[in-house]
Amino acid sequence: MRLLLIEDYRPLQKSLAKGLREAGFAVDITGDGREGLWYATSNDYDVIILDLMLPGMDGLSLLKKLRAKGRQSHVLILTAKDTIEDRVTGLDMGADDYLVKPFAFEELLSRLRALMRRRYQEKNSCIHIEEMRIDLTTQRVWRCREELQLTRREYALLEYLAMRAGQTVSRTDIWEHVYEFNSSASSNVVDVYIGYLRKKIERPGKPALIRTVRGRGYILGAQV
Amino acid sequence: MRSLRARLLVGMISGILLLLIVFSVIIYTVVRRTLVNQFDASLAATAQILAASVEQDGDKIELELDIQKMPEFQRVEHPAYFQLWRHNGAVAVRSASLGTDDLLRLDGSLDAPVFRALQTRSGQPGRAVGFKFAPKIESRGRKRYQQSAEQQLLTLVVARDASGLQYQLRFLLWLLLLASLGTIGLSLLVAVFVVREGLSPLNLLAAEIAVIREDNLAVRVGTERMPAEMVPIRKRLNELLSRLEASFNRERRFTADVAHELRTPLAGIRSSLEVTLRRTRDVNEYQASLSDCLTIARNMQAMMDNLLALARIDAHQITFRRDRIQLAKLVNSCWRPFSGRAIERSIVFENRIPGEMNCESDPNLLSIVLSNLLDNAVEYTNKEGQIWTAGRHADNSVEITVANTGCRLTDEEASQVFDCFWRGDLSRTNTGMHCGLGLALVQKIIRALGGCAAAEVTSTGIFTVRLSLPAKRESLSIQ
Repeated sequence: MRLLLIEDYRPLQKSLAKGLREAGFAVDITGDGREGLWYATSNDYDVIILDLMLPGMDGLSLLKKLRAKGRQSHVLILTAKDTIEDRVTGLDMGADDYLVKPFAFEELLSRLRALMRRRYQEKNSCIHIEEMRIDLTTQRVWRCREELQLTRREYALLEYLAMRAGQTVSRTDIWEHVYEFNSSASSNVVDVYIGYLRKKIERPGKPALIRTVRGRGYILGAQV
Repeated sequence: MRSLRARLLVGMISGILLLLIVFSVIIYTVVRRTLVNQFDASLAATAQILAASVEQDGDKIELELDIQKMPEFQRVEHPAYFQLWRHNGAVAVRSASLGTDDLLRLDGSLDAPVFRALQTRSGQPGRAVGFKFAPKIESRGRKRYQQSAEQQLLTLVVARDASGLQYQLRFLLWLLLLASLGTIGLSLLVAVFVVREGLSPLNLLAAEIAVIREDNLAVRVGTERMPAEMVPIRKRLNELLSRLEASFNRERRFTADVAHELRTPLAGIRSSLEVTLRRTRDVNEYQASLSDCLTIARNMQAMMDNLLALARIDAHQITFRRDRIQLAKLVNSCWRPFSGRAIERSIVFENRIPGEMNCESDPNLLSIVLSNLLDNAVEYTNKEGQIWTAGRHADNSVEITVANTGCRLTDEEASQVFDCFWRGDLSRTNTGMHCGLGLALVQKIIRALGGCAAAEVTSTGIFTVRLSLPAKRESLSIQ
């Protein structure tokens, strides 16, 4: 899942980016409001973490412009402004969640996961596909009751495919939602990671879970 | 007397009492004089009738009328009295009611008779009139009224019981006394009512003030229908409330600003520590995380130091030194900590203050001022920009300017730079060190040193802070 972190306080920006990446998110970072708007409108982020007091353009103006452009990315406002009026204004202007600084990092992660599930209409924090179980909270995966050892990137790829299970997911979608903007990965890296995933999740004698739709992308889920 | 109501009541009642006494005395005096004059006129008329009836026939003095038989002189109770003296003092005639007693001889004249109060034989109060007159002369069967050589001057005194008059006067006195007491009683009731009604707007105002708490200072007291005398009080009270509200709001805003300024670095520390502790890491990662936290803590400490300095200046808890300061030297020493940052950003610094220029002030406080200004300048000057300081003498003051290029503030924004927690943009990029307290502190210190600070920005983006300080300090504004 891909996040945009718009936070100008460098120490917080740095620690958040590190924690979020370790939690399996692809994170793009900026500390400027104008640049943040450009990022947000140029990419289809799953969630945008938005500070309100920003240089260049304040967070609320950014949010207003983002919604005016029809962007549907979920927005979590992360700010030191804690009054009821501030929260009401933020949520009424199109934010999906509001978290006041200082905050518990686990709470931020939990809220981000909730926003992700909402984005992909997934109510449950545990996804079952055939005999595969993905726990979105603990980021653990089982196939035929056997736990799989996935790398951070492999898990991110599987989680994205699982969120859109049954749908054809293009390589571009995967690229946009699993890799960061500044990623130096080459264009065939998606195919490579799909290969890694297949090796880890497919079982002999069981139906294939990841199917290739020639020229269009991939579908997670056994063929009916 | 502290109670306004009691004061008004006592004042009103005292005034009414005084007026009653004055009017009562006047009424009594006028009525008494009238009654006494009427009594005396009647007495004088009786005396003149008596005098007209006195005849002298040779040495013999006779009363023409049978005056002695007049009922007035015959009454057993409260009779009238008269006595007639010859010119040699011998008693010629006296009324039977006198018996053998004598009346007091009063030597007035017919035109100006003498009246006198006396006590009658029966011990009653009475009044007497007396005058000298020439009786009619009876000669050869003819009466003559002209005064002649043989004519004697007689003295007649007529007295009458005046207890009736005294009774009337006593009645009048009691009447006035009772009327006064009644008036006082009624006045008291009316005064209590009037004072209560008159002071009711004051009670209403007090009730309105009583409900004002620190959380509803936006309330204003009084109505347009208030008595004219209370309008200035209402106006002053509302002005006071406005000032109080502004002060409370300022304090609330300041507290909120402080809390807000602390939230972001605190979030930085918490987030950094929580992320680090989520898994086991190598030593370098722990060190990096702790180093980040330490930097944030230092910045927070700097902010707290600034806040503390502001609070101390406000509370007049700063003691001042007074030394001769070489300004160029002080600026150079203040610049040193920022020179590294300036070089990193290719900023050129120039100290144009003349070497011999000095002023008398507190070197520690002035160095805080200059450090804040230079720190601010390094932070906001454009890359490859310029910072310079200049100084000049003006009258009895010294003017120091700190200027930098690359300013994007408007004139209006430049006028706000000395407000606490004000920043050119809303960012918290430099929360802690640049949270909008530095320039507020600059202004407070400069004012405390007896000077003033002003900021301006030119159309070419040159931001200048101008400090004006007394060249020689006669006295310090805060001790």
